[in-house]
Amino acid sequence: METTKYRSAVSAVMLILSLVMLIPFGLMVLTSLKTMGEIQAPQFVFIPQHLSLDNYFQAMQRGNWAQYFGNSLFITAVTVVVSLLINSVAGYSFARLRFKGRDLLFLISLIGLMIPPQVTMIPVFLILKHIPFAGGNDWTGQGGLGWINSYMGLIAPYVAGSFGVFLFRQFYLNFPKDLDDAAKMDGLSTVKTYWQIYVPLSKPIFATLVALKATQSWNEYTWPLIVTNSDAMKTVQLALTLFRDETQVQWNLLMSATTLIVLPLTIIFLLAQKYFIEGIVTTGIKG
Amino acid sequence: MSESLAVAKMAAGRRKKAVRLDEDRIGYMLIAPFYIFLLVFVLIPIAVNLYLSFTNYDLTNADWVGLKNYRILFSDSFFHVALKNTFVYTFFTLLFTLGLGLMLALVLNRKLAGLPFLRTAFFMPHITSMVAVSMIWLWIYEPSHGLANSFLDLLGIRKIQWLFDETWAMPAVILMSVWKFVGYNMVIYLAGLQSIPRHLYEAASVDGAGAGRQFFNVTLPLLTPVTFFLFITGLINNFNVFEQIQILTGGGPMNSTTTLVHQIYNRAFNDFQMGYAAALSMVLLAIIAFITIVNFKYGSQSHE
Repeated sequence: METTKYRSAVSAVMLILSLVMLIPFGLMVLTSLKTMGEIQAPQFVFIPQHLSLDNYFQAMQRGNWAQYFGNSLFITAVTVVVSLLINSVAGYSFARLRFKGRDLLFLISLIGLMIPPQVTMIPVFLILKHIPFAGGNDWTGQGGLGWINSYMGLIAPYVAGSFGVFLFRQFYLNFPKDLDDAAKMDGLSTVKTYWQIYVPLSKPIFATLVALKATQSWNEYTWPLIVTNSDAMKTVQLALTLFRDETQVQWNLLMSATTLIVLPLTIIFLLAQKYFIEGIVTTGIKG
Repeated sequence: MSESLAVAKMAAGRRKKAVRLDEDRIGYMLIAPFYIFLLVFVLIPIAVNLYLSFTNYDLTNADWVGLKNYRILFSDSFFHVALKNTFVYTFFTLLFTLGLGLMLALVLNRKLAGLPFLRTAFFMPHITSMVAVSMIWLWIYEPSHGLANSFLDLLGIRKIQWLFDETWAMPAVILMSVWKFVGYNMVIYLAGLQSIPRHLYEAASVDGAGAGRQFFNVTLPLLTPVTFFLFITGLINNFNVFEQIQILTGGGPMNSTTTLVHQIYNRAFNDFQMGYAAALSMVLLAIIAFITIVNFKYGSQSHE
């Protein structure tokens, strides 16, 4: 068997490796506290001389960051709540109810798992633009902008989520058949059975999907880039790229803003790590 | 008497049928919200995309041009470069994330001290947005004051222009992506390793198999489904690389980092050549469909 000496050597190497992994985050936070003078010094400055949050206040004045954070928060919250509701009832229906064409419909819905959004970004953009009666459109979907540059346009394409349906179905398939029979004996309708029995029993899967969906939604960049064009609709991810477009990038301000948009998810991740990791592991192993 | 029994039977049958119909209806009702979104934002778009790829749609006109877009595509040097770059990016990112992910998982599987901390550290980049990650690495790769060149300077090595250098831009993007994705692969491999029953190793060691033989005869074969899953999903994800390209290099310098999705985005939303971009999307879809079909065909065997 391995000696303790060998084992502690391995531990030490892994500790160093993990610290190397954390260097970019450390750099981010340290840079956010530096002055431009320290950043442009001929010798690399590791620890800034004066610790002040000045850069953070300055960075947040570049543009309307209260609006950007509000947008991202709103989009993430609505996407998570609506998609989870829709996904879980669909997953329940596919797993526990019998109806004509159920298996075929489920199989077709798996296409949504295979098609990455990048493949369909052009038609989805055009469909949003031609939503009838929205954004100045007439009933044929002509004349206006539809859901382009609106919250609906940012949220609607992300609500379906075949992946969530797939996970919920797998989860509900494991429930014993007796559960349904007992509910029927008690005179519960199908919908009530779902709401009063299945939902309370599926907290872990809900937590997992909240973690997955919230991360995905908060971090999304490509879609807001395509579907919005006004400052009022910008998400935090999109707003961050404004700093990069300046001729002379002020790295301290950019890193302050980066720290602020990374912070919310990082805190949630550290507090509820179990759900982030378990969720990914179960989807990885069983998916 | 028998007549009324028959009537009662019929009524019961009808009631049963009614219950069934009711269950049918509730079943459809519960999947309807999901299915409407699926139809409008996934299934119909595929058909629309196919149609667009046969037109010269530019947001104002859409004339049917048949296979013209696909013919142009074969002689489009941007497309060729993008396809090559996408393959290079995918190959190296996948190779390093899978290889390093497995190695790290093997080491971490020994119940080391501080495992939760190590796992968190490696997993952090995975939950951080690609935009934020790209900004941090943009700063690391900054030629005159960035961390990478400051480090090279310290070692007395000539500075590299990183993202501004045709040769180094792609490796720089790949290095960043490996850093971002390796923890995810490690966590999944770790779970795979922990699900291998211990008695298999005991049996192997009774048979006189050393650590190396145990790895090749027990660990690796039993990890095949995990590897397969990571390989397929990694292949598809890496093939769709766009965000880090758009932010770090914008496809440059001299198109050395432009990729398939980056070309689709540029053609569609900068040049408004929607028809041509739709044809590019169909190529991407074909490649992904091919990967998925291979997955179905050989994936189900390895799960046995």
